[in-house]
Amino acid sequence: MEDWVVFRTWVGDLTQMIADNTVGKTSLSDYSDGLAIVMTETIMAVTVFATIMGTILALLWIERKFFARIMDRRGATMALRSLWVGEGGEHADWYDDLPFGVGKPIRWLNKLLNEKAGNASEYETVHRTKDRGYHGVWWMLPGMIQNVADGMKFMTKEWMVPAKADKFIFEVAPFIIITSTVMIFAFIPLSSNIYSANPELSLLFMMAIFGIAPFGVFFAGWSSNNKFTLLGGIRSAAQLTAYEIPLLVTVLSLAVLSGSLNIIEIAEFQITSGVWNIFLLPLGAALFMITMVAEVERIPFDMPEAEAELVEGWWTEYGGMRWGLMFASEYLRCYAACLLFAIFFLGGWEMPFGDTITGIIPNQDLILGAIGVGLIGLALGLRSEYPVLLAPIPLVFISMIPPTVWLLFKAWFMFAIFVWIRASLHRVRSDQILEFGWRWLLPLSLVNLAIAFWLRLSIWQGGTWPLLIPGLITAIALILVIILGMDEDKSAMEGRIRPYSVYTESKGPASPRSHDR
Amino acid sequence: MGPQHPMTHGLWTLKVKVDGETVVDTIPDLGYIHRGVEKICEARDFTKITTYCDRLCYASANTWAHSYIYSAEDLLEVEVPARAEHIRVIAIEIQRIASHLMWLGAFCPDIGNLTAFVWCLREREMMMDLLQELGGSRLHYNFPRIGGVKRDLPIGFAMRARNKLNLFLNRVQETEQMLDESTVFLVRTQGVGYAKPEEMVNHGVTGPNVRAGGVNYDVRWAHPYSVYDELDWEVSVERPSIKGADSYDRYRVRVDEMRQSARMCLDALDKMPGGAETHYTEGDPMILTKARERAEEGKTGFHHFEDSRGESMFYLAGGGDQRGKHPYRISIRSPMFLTIPYAAKCMIGHKVADIPAIMGSFDPCIGETDR
Repeated sequence: MEDWVVFRTWVGDLTQMIADNTVGKTSLSDYSDGLAIVMTETIMAVTVFATIMGTILALLWIERKFFARIMDRRGATMALRSLWVGEGGEHADWYDDLPFGVGKPIRWLNKLLNEKAGNASEYETVHRTKDRGYHGVWWMLPGMIQNVADGMKFMTKEWMVPAKADKFIFEVAPFIIITSTVMIFAFIPLSSNIYSANPELSLLFMMAIFGIAPFGVFFAGWSSNNKFTLLGGIRSAAQLTAYEIPLLVTVLSLAVLSGSLNIIEIAEFQITSGVWNIFLLPLGAALFMITMVAEVERIPFDMPEAEAELVEGWWTEYGGMRWGLMFASEYLRCYAACLLFAIFFLGGWEMPFGDTITGIIPNQDLILGAIGVGLIGLALGLRSEYPVLLAPIPLVFISMIPPTVWLLFKAWFMFAIFVWIRASLHRVRSDQILEFGWRWLLPLSLVNLAIAFWLRLSIWQGGTWPLLIPGLITAIALILVIILGMDEDKSAMEGRIRPYSVYTESKGPASPRSHDR
Repeated sequence: MGPQHPMTHGLWTLKVKVDGETVVDTIPDLGYIHRGVEKICEARDFTKITTYCDRLCYASANTWAHSYIYSAEDLLEVEVPARAEHIRVIAIEIQRIASHLMWLGAFCPDIGNLTAFVWCLREREMMMDLLQELGGSRLHYNFPRIGGVKRDLPIGFAMRARNKLNLFLNRVQETEQMLDESTVFLVRTQGVGYAKPEEMVNHGVTGPNVRAGGVNYDVRWAHPYSVYDELDWEVSVERPSIKGADSYDRYRVRVDEMRQSARMCLDALDKMPGGAETHYTEGDPMILTKARERAEEGKTGFHHFEDSRGESMFYLAGGGDQRGKHPYRISIRSPMFLTIPYAAKCMIGHKVADIPAIMGSFDPCIGETDR
């Protein structure tokens, strides 16, 4: 589909007009084009930065709420279940607020699910822990502004430097971390024409920038003059060697597949060729995700800040707004990782399956018309008091959603998965991540690279992908995931993981008073 | 590490000598919250000591109170009615479940998972509610009395307890699924902190820790007091590897023990003399025998008791008329006081990251350790 938000062109035209009508009318008219370019680039950079900074609130909100849901209920399944069972054990009714009676089918589904899988029988005992309702204002996204309050708190706190710290390095380390993190976003496009910089080799540059922050972490850990921070810093540096190489090899496979080292071209390649990379390189997507979790130091791989043994590790001696900014930069790196995953594997800013569908059935209007007619029928049947003509409006809105919004939604979805990982896994040890990185991630990333070469050299003929290949690869990947995810035989599992499990001889069943005899 | 460190689960210091990230030597340093409970109790009536025993361990108050009560009954020679014994078993076992849930909830954040912590505390909340119905307060119940219990089961308690215990039995499966099927959990706990059974016995380690090492010794089973020999349950003993019990074994044995405790409670509710739904008034002979207030001089009371963390014992000496209603001497055997030094030894040779995974798996409770 066409991207109708040609923001860069709009800004370019506007600044050109401004420059022409101001400097262009003076004796400095030679510089009006240059001025327009400077203004355009500045506005674009500010736009991207403001978008990222504004939407990171959503990220933090997901971290709070989704995590809380998983912890509060019985994991993700219970979090889903609470959609129909509702807060406090009563029936949810958020679907009644949706316009045009769209929520009616949800109400029917809800009723059905409540009958089949409701938790009426457990109501009495579980309602106590479930009574943290939103009090009917879910649409206000409660908790969204909490981060602003946290930021204010950090600003009012004192900035202390330990007496025996290496003061210069201690002050410099946060700046290394924060600036390198913000710099990542210079190269992340928000759509094909909303970006702040687009050099030819943006992929390489960005991966290089991504690897700088761990050095800042190491500096911070070393300079704090504290045993825990030192261990944290060393762990961060040691961890770097485990995941950075598989990450780069995985990214290289993307470059091979797309034939470009430019991020925008990698995303555009998925749109023009009609298939997202995740369907071609599911292994690469998994590797990229794992290594990115390690890169942003989130929970299975957060040894540098292990709060149980190294009381927050390298953070320990930092406080005040420097700590707040470093914490924000952690989330910025997370956001960058999610955005990159969306761009590299989920088709970037493309509407899900937008071009694939239109590629199969060329007449796009036909589909839209059919869906519109269907919606009209739905609206007629459900809420006859509403004007029928209003029904297709949501559909029009869907096709008019700017590509940036799709990209952000994909990134948030990825972040929800990050949160899910964090909620369900434990922290591994330093030696274990090294072993995992070298024994599993590196060979698998090489396999992934070979697959990418094979796809590019043997399958790719230009134009679009033959749909059989991605379908086949996706089917194989799904089957593998299901096989690996199946419950294993417990005794076999123990035998495999515990090579020393030589059981002591059982002395027969004990009985009461057996020791008295 | 310590006295204020997340690994300690309390207030003590573990001096760790490291070579890089490998632990070379450890020295535990205890005694930060010594309150002199034994001395305080010498100046209290027998009935008033129960509250101090509650405060020996905040996570397992009821078992400690009962531990004292059984010794005091041995000293004062009281026959406890069968109904009161059943109620006591219910209170103790619910407390044991709550204590083990607290342990699991504290152990999982030690190795990086906060979700299990919240799940465990949520399920512990149900147990706390039940205990609150019995004792009236949420943490320190002061529930048992010498010769019986403070008050009978409230009306409707049996139904609520059955519901909640059955729900708990369902939910503990989910927690188990999350932990046992997570390879990350397995690699963090298996092969970590081997504790040899014979060494544990030599060091005086008892309770779930030693049962994880394959030693089939549970006071409730070997020397049944109360009505444990009439109830339907089994000792949960792990069969560890030849190297000894690792953190995973200690996790398994406690989860299994929670199941057994729930089973025991359900059975005790069924076998309750007088029926679980009836409610006797306070001081009724069905639930409370009138006990003597003074102990003879030179007479001693002693009782083995299976606490949530091991074998706790109280030694009481009666003081005759000189001491009035007070004991002459009271001495407490704390299971964790003997376990912590051994747990510290288990860490040698492991990584710094394993210290919480090992120490947490032994379920330290500093309140009872320092007394």
